[in-house]
Amino acid sequence: MAQPQQIVTTAHMRPVQPSACPTRAFLTRLAPALAALAILAGGSAAAEQPANPLAGEAALSLECRVPGAQLYTVAQLGAVKAALAENRPLKILAIGGSAAPGASASYPAKLEAALEHALPKVDVTIDHRGLPGEIASGAAERLRTMVAEAEPDLVVWQVGTHDAIARVDVDAFASALTEAVGWMRSHGIDVVLVDPIYTASMAADVDYNRIVEAVRTVATQQGVPLVRRYEALHYLSSRTDKGEGHMLGRQFRLNDLGLRCMAEHVALTIATSLMRTEAPQEPKAAPAQPPLTEPQRAPG
Amino acid sequence: MRDPNAIDFWRGFALITIFINHIPGNTFERYTFSQYGISDAAELFVFLAGWSIGIATRGRDGNPEPPGRSVVRLLARTVEVYRAQLTVMLLALALIAGAALLLDNPLILEWHNAGGFFADPIQSVCGMALLTYQLGYFNILPLYVLLIGIAPVFVLVGRVSLVAALALSVGVYLASLVFGWNLPSWPGEGDWFFDPFCWQLLLVLGFVLQGWNLRTDLLRRWSRRLFPAGVAIVLLGIVLAVAEIRPDPMLVPEPRLLFTFEKTYLTPARLVHFLGVLLAFAPLYAVLAPRIGRVVGYLTQMGRNSLAVFSMGSILSLVGQLVRFQTGGGLLIDMLVAGSGLVGLGFTAWFVEWRSRSRSSRPRT
Repeated sequence: MAQPQQIVTTAHMRPVQPSACPTRAFLTRLAPALAALAILAGGSAAAEQPANPLAGEAALSLECRVPGAQLYTVAQLGAVKAALAENRPLKILAIGGSAAPGASASYPAKLEAALEHALPKVDVTIDHRGLPGEIASGAAERLRTMVAEAEPDLVVWQVGTHDAIARVDVDAFASALTEAVGWMRSHGIDVVLVDPIYTASMAADVDYNRIVEAVRTVATQQGVPLVRRYEALHYLSSRTDKGEGHMLGRQFRLNDLGLRCMAEHVALTIATSLMRTEAPQEPKAAPAQPPLTEPQRAPG
Repeated sequence: MRDPNAIDFWRGFALITIFINHIPGNTFERYTFSQYGISDAAELFVFLAGWSIGIATRGRDGNPEPPGRSVVRLLARTVEVYRAQLTVMLLALALIAGAALLLDNPLILEWHNAGGFFADPIQSVCGMALLTYQLGYFNILPLYVLLIGIAPVFVLVGRVSLVAALALSVGVYLASLVFGWNLPSWPGEGDWFFDPFCWQLLLVLGFVLQGWNLRTDLLRRWSRRLFPAGVAIVLLGIVLAVAEIRPDPMLVPEPRLLFTFEKTYLTPARLVHFLGVLLAFAPLYAVLAPRIGRVVGYLTQMGRNSLAVFSMGSILSLVGQLVRFQTGGGLLIDMLVAGSGLVGLGFTAWFVEWRSRSRSSRPRT
């Protein structure tokens, strides 16, 4: 299987071209994601053109483009991979974050669309639940019940905003989050964390930044993918200086944009993480799915 | 105006506890009894509401009033609570929106699921009227509206047989635990934070126990005998809460809700713990009342005006949260927030009684 190997090489390749043009640089950095999409698409056409820049245009919409390094950290998604290998529908529980102007109702639908675009042969079902309250006091308990009810393959969790707003102690938050993520992982459920939103009004707030930091630390320690929403929005805010106005000022517009982009960012993080995930043993992959990116090993 | 009594005292106590617990992260939260057991003040509040229905639907002599009058009385109370819920929701949303504008901070719009309202005002305003759109920490009143709305059924059945009323209630409770019945939230996916099919049991239990307490001495004798069991349950609750021991919902057998500690469904463990708390602490009022007259006066006045105090408490706790958020919290701020809240709640109770006194003494203009 030479072709998939080639894709992997592309995916892990560092950008070689001098990148004077920022768009170009961005597309190059997006290459791993493109490759992921190509692999997941599984079609031979995609496999022949692993780094087609036009496919990259489709991966993130123009207003949501953020360099991958500032957007996510990837990690293994064993349960999702197993679900794909068994050709079952992928059950996702999207938790947390009510939403702000213009986006609330559309987030689950957008996420589903973005994922089904990224994983064309996969049937994705998304259950979206708000999680009122603080992780450090009570909400973690409610999460466990929700997860037990839904029994998902993957939980996409927007976490930290409520605790930041309530000014809970950062250490208490971090330990409660660690416990909750660890609990889901111990039951063979994959987790993708999404850290809090960026707004300029909170940029200098020490406690808020410590909560964002804590989410990042827990994601690294627990080995789960993280959508770095805070940084992504920070990047977008520096870019959209002359963006269209909003009746409530620029801050509100940015919030709106961030929520619209989140579905795309989450989908890209999942797709990229999946590409890096080692295959489960003896995947019953359909012929259409090219076998796997790396030498097969038992999932660790 | 009623004289101070145990029911109003404990109701006032529950109101204070709920107020403190609704300012998450504040220093005093860890000193409320909710942190040291499986059940909390919400159980106490709903149970006492049921007990009060028992009192309200009987005359001074303890004989039940005509059924028609009870139904109309409960209907009037339902309207009153519904009106309070709408007012509180509107004020809460205005506080959130106002703070977001004033502080130029869109993050505040995320507060307690309020973002949904500002994103989808058309659906949300319908949901608000239907009680299916609820803000976080503002979900007890919708439950209360519904429970008092269906209370006439239990009151009328109770006229025939209190056992039948309790059996009906337990039946609905167990069925909803087994089948996971709950009312849906709308707009937005999910269910009610307080499942009315489950929580109705506490209201009916309060109502039925009040009736039995009036009729025979049996209840009082048994509660004295079971006092040690109550203390044991309370101690066990403290150990479980402090050591953070609780069942893993993925590991317990089906039907899971019979075994978890879930607040939404008032699971059996919470119910048993609450009954233990009741047994252990019910005798305390008689001991305390002569010694802390002023505190009793303060708490019972709140208990007598629980709807107004609860509504004001919801608003004040939201203000407290906003203050903590903007200032970054800390012990000094927490003392200020909690202190002014307690004064504010006391004033609310006093004001309501003053207003009704001055209304009844003067002809209306």
